[in-house]
Amino acid sequence: MHLDAKIPSGPLPEKWDRHRFDLKLITPANKRKYDILVVGAGLAGASASASLAEQGYNVKTLCLQDSPRRGHSIAAQGGINAAKNYQNDGDSVFRLFYDTIKGGDFRSREANVYRLAQISNSIIDQCVAQGVPFAREYGGGLANRSFGGAQVSRTFYARGQTGQQLLLGAYGALMRQVKLGKVTLLPRREMLDLVVEEGEARGIITRNLISGELECHGAHAVVIATGGYGNAYFLSTNAMASNVTATFRAYKRGAAFANPCFVQIHPTCIPAHGNSQSKLTLMSESLRNDGRVWVPEKPGDRRAPADIPEAERDYYLEDKYPSFGNLVPRDVASRNAKEQCDAGKGVGATGLAVYLDFSDAIKRDGLQTIEMKYGNLFQMYEKITDQNPTDRPMMISPAVHYTMGGLWVDYNLMSTIPGLFVLGEANFSDHGANRLGASALMQGLADGYFILPATIGSYLAGLTTKTININQSTFLATREEVENRISRLLATRGRRTIDDFHRQLGLLLWKDCGMTRNEKGLREALARIPAIREEFWHNVIVPGSGQALNQSLERAGRVADFLEFAEVMVIDALSRTESCGCHFREESRGADNEARRDDNNFCHVAAWEFSGPSTHPTLHKEALSFENVELSQRSYT
Amino acid sequence: MGRTSRTLSSSLGRKMLMAASGSFLSLFILVHLAGNSSALLGRTTFLAYVDYLHSLGVLLHFFEILLLTAFCTHVFLALLLFFENRKARPEPYAVVKSSGGATLAGQTMIYSGTVILLFLVLHLQNFLFIDRELPVADLLRTVLGNPALAVIYLIGTLAVGLHLSHGLWSLCQTLGLEHPKYTSTLDKKAALLGLAIGLFFALIIVVALFYPGFLL
Amino acid sequence: MSRTISLTLRIWRQENGTSQGAFETYRTGPISTEMSFLEMLDVVGERLTLEGKEPVAFDHDCREGICGMCGAVVNGQAHGHQQGTTLCQLHMRHFKDGDTLVIEPFRSRAFPLIKDLVVDRSAFDSLIAEGGYVSVNTGGAIEANTLAIPRKIADLALDAAECIGCGACVAACPNGAAMLFVGAKVSHLALLPQGQPERSRRVLAMVRKMDELGFGSCGNRRECEAACPKRISISNVARLNREFLKASLLADEE
Repeated sequence: MHLDAKIPSGPLPEKWDRHRFDLKLITPANKRKYDILVVGAGLAGASASASLAEQGYNVKTLCLQDSPRRGHSIAAQGGINAAKNYQNDGDSVFRLFYDTIKGGDFRSREANVYRLAQISNSIIDQCVAQGVPFAREYGGGLANRSFGGAQVSRTFYARGQTGQQLLLGAYGALMRQVKLGKVTLLPRREMLDLVVEEGEARGIITRNLISGELECHGAHAVVIATGGYGNAYFLSTNAMASNVTATFRAYKRGAAFANPCFVQIHPTCIPAHGNSQSKLTLMSESLRNDGRVWVPEKPGDRRAPADIPEAERDYYLEDKYPSFGNLVPRDVASRNAKEQCDAGKGVGATGLAVYLDFSDAIKRDGLQTIEMKYGNLFQMYEKITDQNPTDRPMMISPAVHYTMGGLWVDYNLMSTIPGLFVLGEANFSDHGANRLGASALMQGLADGYFILPATIGSYLAGLTTKTININQSTFLATREEVENRISRLLATRGRRTIDDFHRQLGLLLWKDCGMTRNEKGLREALARIPAIREEFWHNVIVPGSGQALNQSLERAGRVADFLEFAEVMVIDALSRTESCGCHFREESRGADNEARRDDNNFCHVAAWEFSGPSTHPTLHKEALSFENVELSQRSYT
Repeated sequence: MGRTSRTLSSSLGRKMLMAASGSFLSLFILVHLAGNSSALLGRTTFLAYVDYLHSLGVLLHFFEILLLTAFCTHVFLALLLFFENRKARPEPYAVVKSSGGATLAGQTMIYSGTVILLFLVLHLQNFLFIDRELPVADLLRTVLGNPALAVIYLIGTLAVGLHLSHGLWSLCQTLGLEHPKYTSTLDKKAALLGLAIGLFFALIIVVALFYPGFLL
Repeated sequence: MSRTISLTLRIWRQENGTSQGAFETYRTGPISTEMSFLEMLDVVGERLTLEGKEPVAFDHDCREGICGMCGAVVNGQAHGHQQGTTLCQLHMRHFKDGDTLVIEPFRSRAFPLIKDLVVDRSAFDSLIAEGGYVSVNTGGAIEANTLAIPRKIADLALDAAECIGCGACVAACPNGAAMLFVGAKVSHLALLPQGQPERSRRVLAMVRKMDELGFGSCGNRRECEAACPKRISISNVARLNREFLKASLLADEE
């Protein structure tokens, strides 16, 4: 396998323009001769489907849920970045590019990130034209707010529902194409395998979740936009059905998986309540603008927060990072919370939370001002925990949130399998080792609205295959493999539930491949995962049949893939002995005990190639070169 | 299909026709109430009102036809929508409980409407399809002096009040008459007005029953 | 703070759209009051699985009250008795030990039942396909700040656009009407300058489709607003009526 990122030559600001000029085009009349499959209908999938159909391609869009309006992009609260510089505060495309590269701890491609920053402005134009009701100033212009990791106000938002509003915009555009007959919509379908013919992606196998039927879909190109794999940890802020199956199946068919160990852990989530917790809920990190993080000074102090005098409170972030204080990046805040909890200073029923206290802000600005800023978040918190954060400090706890790793793609968003394109969180492209707030929506929409519609034509124009026949042996053989897997799952009839295995895997990953990692723990995890997987295939219970709606079967398939994929994650974490961004190797710290990057040995993307069952995957390195920014160690003290 | 028939065949068009006919009927009821209340001012005023009405001649008949049309439209559409709406949920819920929006009047429109319809048959029999030579004031005294009839009339007028207390707001909503500045408490005001109309009708009946001398 | 309660559940079980359904009774065993309603169903499902039975099928995804996938009628009320709350955000602390909960699917002719509590709400997608968007191709947008939109108008548009498409309005409506859903989308776009060019066409097409799909008509009973987890106001229904009336009387549309 040879990784060619196909980064265009020329100066950074001109690369994308030049590349678009160099790409082969397909005339409008010929576009209707090409079929494209889009898997997933979140921001990236919906925007790509709509834009491709507008150009004239025949698009088939599939999603897990009952409607393409439900992808988990919908849960994004904070906002979307763009370099509009409406605030006249010194923002520019270059600054957005620089912040994103630095925020990602110099583990992403300059050319990709610069293009993302360039496109960010068109995204806002597009969304406003669709009628997305962004927040406005009294004068009628668009409002902005500041967000973690940036010194300028460049975040566009719609209350705490920016993701929802952007997704509904893309969904509307998609439904318009459905009405026009250019998109065939297939909801309640799960992609269970990729069909590769003569080395190129030619289709997918899906399960119709209502009838249970296994369907073959053929196309000239396959687009995967199925999101991230945070649910490998069982508890995460992802939706319940978010999974790795589509990307992992593509990996097993030859697509390289890049940086799988890069998992963002968000510091401000509502703590878990007990063993029946099914998922975690994020609280917008904007809360840290006014909340002060603290824990009791003495380990094991179980007094109510109000009974702990000021002198016995440890405002650890403010002490350790005087210049950034409570506003340190997500990974730093999460790691420090873990450190406090490990030292026995955690609070709450499980001892795994820290306080986020608004009482000083309320004293300073008044209750009304604080409630105006955070009222809806406070209500959400109260709904879940039954506690009012204006009466007693909020309790927060870190949680798995976003995965920067994903299928490796070149500058055209094509994976190592020709004809297989990967968008949004499912690819690895733009966030390096850590994603900044309000950048996920930007990337999903840049990929879907603007990048893929420009690059896919070049691949299709070079294609010699004109018709795809789903009755060919490759399709039938792949479908049979899927069928066998399903039959095996249904036939096992063991004694443990699917969730039981999933939870076990999640705890293991959280402990050994979570906020901090070390060689001993990772090696232990590497030894234990195959054992859990082995037991899963012999002892799991999957009730019901394959020929009907069977939610247990759906989950079993996803967990089975997580159990294989987790190993790749751990292998990646083990091989990257440096600390960078979210990936904190305890062995790699500076004198100040903070993360230390090793640019001499790890300034690369680690792309893993499947080398056969129970064989160690093969590592391919894509070297990252930085010509426009200077590599520096992050420091927040 | 023409524009009008297309509009009227849609559920919203029908609702609007319901609301329009309802508005007309509500206006009529207000006029009717004003006329009836003249009875409280004594025999002479009341008879003058009756004479005035009769003097309208053809105009009165025209108005009666208009009223009949509005009424029939209202009833026909009500029944049509009622039965159509029952089809929209073929399998009923085992437990039915309001989420908090419903009012008694809103839930019982079809029933209060049916009561009004039955009451009207009696009412028209008593006052319209009769020997026109009888003085109306005496007629009124005979009908309302009969306790059994008076009770039926009370029920009828209260049904009108209940129907209006939801209907007045509902017709505004259906005709799209809504503005945060002017209509934020419209539902409550309309409900009070509707009930007040019903109660005022009832008051006249009560007075006629217990103080026949005072009335006429 | 955290207690445990035990409940009796009467849940609608139905194999598929054509089979006969019936209520089954389950006892939950001790349930932590910190759990959400769906986590309580998870616990019951795990137990049924261990007993070799099929757990209750129900739709859910984000469990944060925003995707609109979950929903069932609990004791006669869509999404349960807690106002402004989706089923996934309803917590067990709002129930008492020993309560009996009757759990039924959303029922409407336009939402055919698929299995147990899972219904097909694709009618909502068909409604949006009729015009719940601005017809603007990617790339053809004008600069975002070209059109000034008063803050109040943007706020009102967002109030309407917050609809999560869960279907509770239809489930709660005595007539199974979709007026709040359609009203919210029509309002969102009618309020904004971007929605003007297709304003009349949109409302006429969406109303026509609404009738075609078998939804009932509005009786102004306000149950939709009361059941809506996003508290979308019925002023949007009035606006839909107004838009429809205007378009029917004045618009030059085929």
